[in-house]
Amino acid sequence: MVNIHPTAIVSPKAVLGENVTVSPYAIIHENTIIGDNSFIGPKTAIYPYTTIGNNAKIYHSASIGHTPQDLKFNNEITSCKIGNNCTIYEYATIHRGTAASGETIIGDDAFLMAYSHIAHDCIIKDRVTIANWTQIAGHVTIENNAVIGGMVKIRQFSRIGKFCMVQGGRSVAKDVPHYILAGEKNLQFGGLNKVGLRRNGFSEEQLNVLRQIYTFLYGSNLNVTQAKEKILLEFPDDPFANEIVDFINQSKVGII
Amino acid sequence: MNNIHSTAIVSKKAKLGDNIEIAPFVIINDDVEIGDNCFIGPYVTINDGARLGNGVNLYQGASISHIPQHKKYANEPTLCIIGDNSIVHEFASVHRGTESGKTVLGKSVLLMAYAHIAHDCRLGDHVIISNACQLAGYTEVEEWAIVGGCIPIHQFTRIGRHSIIGDGYKVGRDVLPYTLAAGEPLGYYGLNKVGLKRRNFTEEQIQEIKQVLSVIYDPNLNVTQAKEKLVNEYANNPFTNEFIEFINKSKRGIITR
Repeated sequence: MVNIHPTAIVSPKAVLGENVTVSPYAIIHENTIIGDNSFIGPKTAIYPYTTIGNNAKIYHSASIGHTPQDLKFNNEITSCKIGNNCTIYEYATIHRGTAASGETIIGDDAFLMAYSHIAHDCIIKDRVTIANWTQIAGHVTIENNAVIGGMVKIRQFSRIGKFCMVQGGRSVAKDVPHYILAGEKNLQFGGLNKVGLRRNGFSEEQLNVLRQIYTFLYGSNLNVTQAKEKILLEFPDDPFANEIVDFINQSKVGII
Repeated sequence: MNNIHSTAIVSKKAKLGDNIEIAPFVIINDDVEIGDNCFIGPYVTINDGARLGNGVNLYQGASISHIPQHKKYANEPTLCIIGDNSIVHEFASVHRGTESGKTVLGKSVLLMAYAHIAHDCRLGDHVIISNACQLAGYTEVEEWAIVGGCIPIHQFTRIGRHSIIGDGYKVGRDVLPYTLAAGEPLGYYGLNKVGLKRRNFTEEQIQEIKQVLSVIYDPNLNVTQAKEKLVNEYANNPFTNEFIEFINKSKRGIITR
């Protein structure tokens, strides 16, 4: 049973799950899939090749799966995939992929606030929060449980690590490693994201290990290569150490 | 043959070209002209004074030729001109001119999502304005310039051709042609080398531009002295006159090093 307002326009080629609500003046194009129990707010448009999981809440005038702003885009068929339980606020925009990766992906439990923008080919993993006005350029990766403050600009190809927090109003032009708070004037290491990590059940013992790892990276006279060696030497079998060194090794634009 | 959705409200007085697609819930007012092969996306509103060329694409919720945000504006008929093949992304707003003026976007302009172009702005051909940039009134952006994301631009500012401005900075003074501007406060960061190479400037031309800029941004000279030196010593450089004219026309001064 779906509940579609008479002024909404829903393509017969759209696939709507059980108990979906479509508000007035919403537009749902062909080749879209919307999961069970989802709410599509007024004046929202869902464009072709978009897949949305169950329990989505998409509010007033959001734009999901629009064609990208990349001048190289040549109408190729690409997709926009959103997981379960997403909440997307007013006027937020999410573009589908380009030929480069073919898809824009947003994981489960995404919380995107008003006017936020997710460009083509981004990968936003699970339980990510993005606050108002934050504009995310193409090919950006945001790992699990990261929180991005309001009015943040994120440059293309950047990567934000898991359980990170980026303070509001900042410009992100480099990768932000896992578990930290990024703030200060020119986006710098601002200590561990202690509050966020505790809320997510990390133990004090784990926090101590992370603190020591980041001291080698940011609180010593070592350069990044030396710090990596030191981290692996001191914590050879520690999963955090390996994870953070891998993060640095994979960085395309350098770390903050 | 135009394809107008039954829920769109299109004035009978509007002049429409051929092969135009108008999506649901669009509103098009009386004094509007639209060229051939345009796409008008859902929820777009096109107000009086709009003049769209051919092949223009307007996407969801864009607001075109809106009444300017200017207290002196008294409903005089003014224009908002958008050139051929320009693209306006979601929720961008372009206001029409004030007094008897006009707001002009050139050909193949790309306005990304949430961009705002105020009254009486002039954008040249191939200009790119990235997400959430807010251009105040009378701003001039010359051809091929690229304005990075989330940038506020002060009124009466002029952005020179083939220049590029980094994401998130604030623009309060004029940016010289061919240059890269970044930093807080906004400063000169050298040539827009990547842009010039993409647009097939020769190595010789790039060296000539560099020569002029090295005089303008010589730390031992003020702008007046730099102009004198250019006239006296670099009169044969084909770019000298362009830079001098640009500086002379500047209302707000140019950015410093």
